[in-house]
Amino acid sequence: MSLTEPQIEAVHSGEHAPAVAGRGPWRLAFDRLRRDRAAVVSAVVVALVVVLAACAPLLAAITGHGPAERFPTTGLTPEGIPVGPSAEFWLGADGLGRDLLVRLAYGARISLLVGVLATLLATVFGVTVGMLAGFFGGAVDAVLARVLDVVLSFPYLLVAIVLAAVYGASIPLMIFVIAFFSFAAMARIVRGQTFAIREREYVEAARSLGAGPFRTMFVDVLPNLIAPVTVLASLLIPTSIVFEATLSFLGLGVDPRTPSWGAILADSVDFYRVSPGLLLFPAALLLITTLAFNMLGDGIRDALDPRGDRIGTR
Amino acid sequence: MQIRRRLIPVTAAAGLAIVLVACGGGGQGAPGAGGGTPRKGGTLKVIGSADVDHLDPSSTYTTAGYNLARTWTRQLISYPADNDFTRATTPVADVAVDLPTRENGGVSRDGLTYTFTIREGVMWNTNPPRQVTAADFVRGFKRLANPVQPSGGISYYTSTIAGMQEYFTKAQRGGRTAAEISRFMAENEISGLKADGDRKLTIRLRVPASDFLNILALSFASPAPVEYDAYVPDSSEFRTNTVSLGPYQIVRYQAGKSVSLTRNPAWRQDTDPIRHQYVDGIDITLGQDSPDAVQLQLEAGSADLAWDQPVPTSALPRLQGNPDFKVWESSNLNPFLVFNLQSPNNGRALNDVRVRRALSYAVNKAAIVRIFGGPKISTVLNGAIPPGSSGFDAAVKPYATPGDEGDPARCRNELAAAGHPAGLTLQFPYRTNGNHPKVAQSIAGDLTACGVRTTLIATTADDFYGRYLSSVAKSREGKWDIAGPGWIPDWFGNNGRAIVQPLFDGRNYTEGSTNYGAYNNPEVNALIDRALTASSPQAAAETWKQANQKIMADAPIVPLMSQNTPLFKSSRVRGAVYNPLAQYYDFTQIWLG
Repeated sequence: MSLTEPQIEAVHSGEHAPAVAGRGPWRLAFDRLRRDRAAVVSAVVVALVVVLAACAPLLAAITGHGPAERFPTTGLTPEGIPVGPSAEFWLGADGLGRDLLVRLAYGARISLLVGVLATLLATVFGVTVGMLAGFFGGAVDAVLARVLDVVLSFPYLLVAIVLAAVYGASIPLMIFVIAFFSFAAMARIVRGQTFAIREREYVEAARSLGAGPFRTMFVDVLPNLIAPVTVLASLLIPTSIVFEATLSFLGLGVDPRTPSWGAILADSVDFYRVSPGLLLFPAALLLITTLAFNMLGDGIRDALDPRGDRIGTR
Repeated sequence: MQIRRRLIPVTAAAGLAIVLVACGGGGQGAPGAGGGTPRKGGTLKVIGSADVDHLDPSSTYTTAGYNLARTWTRQLISYPADNDFTRATTPVADVAVDLPTRENGGVSRDGLTYTFTIREGVMWNTNPPRQVTAADFVRGFKRLANPVQPSGGISYYTSTIAGMQEYFTKAQRGGRTAAEISRFMAENEISGLKADGDRKLTIRLRVPASDFLNILALSFASPAPVEYDAYVPDSSEFRTNTVSLGPYQIVRYQAGKSVSLTRNPAWRQDTDPIRHQYVDGIDITLGQDSPDAVQLQLEAGSADLAWDQPVPTSALPRLQGNPDFKVWESSNLNPFLVFNLQSPNNGRALNDVRVRRALSYAVNKAAIVRIFGGPKISTVLNGAIPPGSSGFDAAVKPYATPGDEGDPARCRNELAAAGHPAGLTLQFPYRTNGNHPKVAQSIAGDLTACGVRTTLIATTADDFYGRYLSSVAKSREGKWDIAGPGWIPDWFGNNGRAIVQPLFDGRNYTEGSTNYGAYNNPEVNALIDRALTASSPQAAAETWKQANQKIMADAPIVPLMSQNTPLFKSSRVRGAVYNPLAQYYDFTQIWLG
């Protein structure tokens, strides 16, 4: 008789149960994450993007091309077509004769900045609102839940367009807009989780020991929200990056001189037939980055929620 | 293997077809030349994006609209079909028997009275066909002043024809129904217009105007048959009931979808010295929004000509040397950089001529020419009047830089000398469509190099003019400091009235003005008056030259470039003659090979 791998593992863990017992939940999650090959690869890709963003000034120094510097005589043909990859322009030039590689590297900074900051902001908002609604319930919940419904029913792209038109496009505005439209989803999930946690025995125990509502909220409820919030936040980052690219693509993002990936993609529309690199490189970078963040987020969810893994939902 | 075998005969057949087509087209020289014997027949297929702005010749004011009007309306005098830019922009007789001159007595000694004789046999396609009369032309002029859809070019007529301004003012207060408009037209006359019998028309001017014939050659000055009295000008009823006197007639008009024209049976070649009637019909299909898609269809031969879509910039290098591709001369300031002289920003720095001169050195014009497809497509401008327009002077280029690449060091030094060593911060609105964002970034980059910071403000094309450049209040508030609008004159040649006056006459500055920066120099204004009333086009040109010199010394704008017109046609199109006013091939010259 031969044992299948899970059986062997089960047998082993049975045998060495005391040794495993010392690992905390975070350690367990990390170990599970480490075994998820897709998540590890994704983490490496994300790290590479971070390195690209960090090295942007270095690339500019090596190539001698600033991110906003134009080279109309060497970066464009006499007919105004961007040159392809060469020794001078490693990934080619854009429609104004700017170095595509340098702009993509600086663009990574904007994408990461917007992605991470918007997600942080959305998380703080979302957890606060969701926890208040879920914990207090009743009238507080009724009001906050309706507010969330309203936010979720906004046509977010149209609102973003109007805001950009009224206040002028800028990175802070873009971060705010993205956070505003992302926090509601976060708040809903947190609210649901809080509802469930509120009824748990340990919360009841804390309350019967005389803990006030805010102590209960921060000491007993909040730590138990960390797992779902981490998962959701890790999935919000790629959404925010794509949202930023969308707004910039439509010309509603930041100053057109700012090297945002979406703006670079928008610039490529005129030239993708004759200069395909101008479309391919930023599109591939955007795709790989969001895919990596998404898969990393998936991996984190699987790692933090072992039951989900057992059911086989991904 | 199988695929290869199948391919070979197909390729051979295609090669044969190409040879046959080439033989059939034998005798045709350069693209666009009308070589070979014109052949009658076939339907010209035109595809494009949007409907005409107006179908009524009294109000149509777009290049596509002009081109359509040329097929079914005519004027007393008109522009000939000619591939030579100068000849194509000099009016010749059309419905009038002769071009009036002082020599033939058509223009009075004082240059104030023009007499026209209507050509016999020019017919409306009514049932039965009816001779076009002098009264029809008078009706055409009256319709320009209708209160519902007054002509966009009305100022050309109110500023020249005696009594036209008074008629226009009164008409604007009149009723707006078809009956009220036609009653007003019947009860009121334009004092300068006189129909003497059916065939003689006399036009008296308020002041001499050496460009009056150019103004009469615009499609605004088309005649109108009595049938039009039943419709509100350019209404949907009008659009489906047009009456034609040109070689083609509109048989079907579907708003936003299509326009179909067939031969006009009432038109005779011997009564039209300009147009022809080679193709059987013209089908214009709208709704193709992508210039790339239009270009592909023209190359595939499934359509013959584009309606309103340009050749995509990215296709230009690929098309070099293609016999069906050609770049045609034009004359415009498109784009140019304008300074807001009223802006309170930076301590009213832009009101200081030294600052404007300094900034004039900054711009890399060669880079902007590359954005628009390179020097084969566009020409760098250093003066306020482009070549091909009256008063162009190649010698006046006070801020020219080596290679037209800009001189940031000189800009920086002169800016410091003008009291702004720390540079300026300028509000710079730009349109988000077409090449405008690239032009804005290019100029902003040039200014950064000379220490001038810019805030780029994204706007729609409408807002660009309505909420920034043409708004008196916003201009005075300093909502914009510099901007890159474009200007294409309404006609070429003797056209100071269509360039210098609208762009630089400070007395005209009001809401909606095209003198965006509110530039006002009494000496320039006096030169404008002198040029407009000059006795001859040559005398006018000399005065426009002086105006150009004065304007450039004040540097209210930075001229950037004049865009020529790249055009592509399907390979079966012959007799492609470029019409500079329509910026397109004249449909009435085309035959199909």
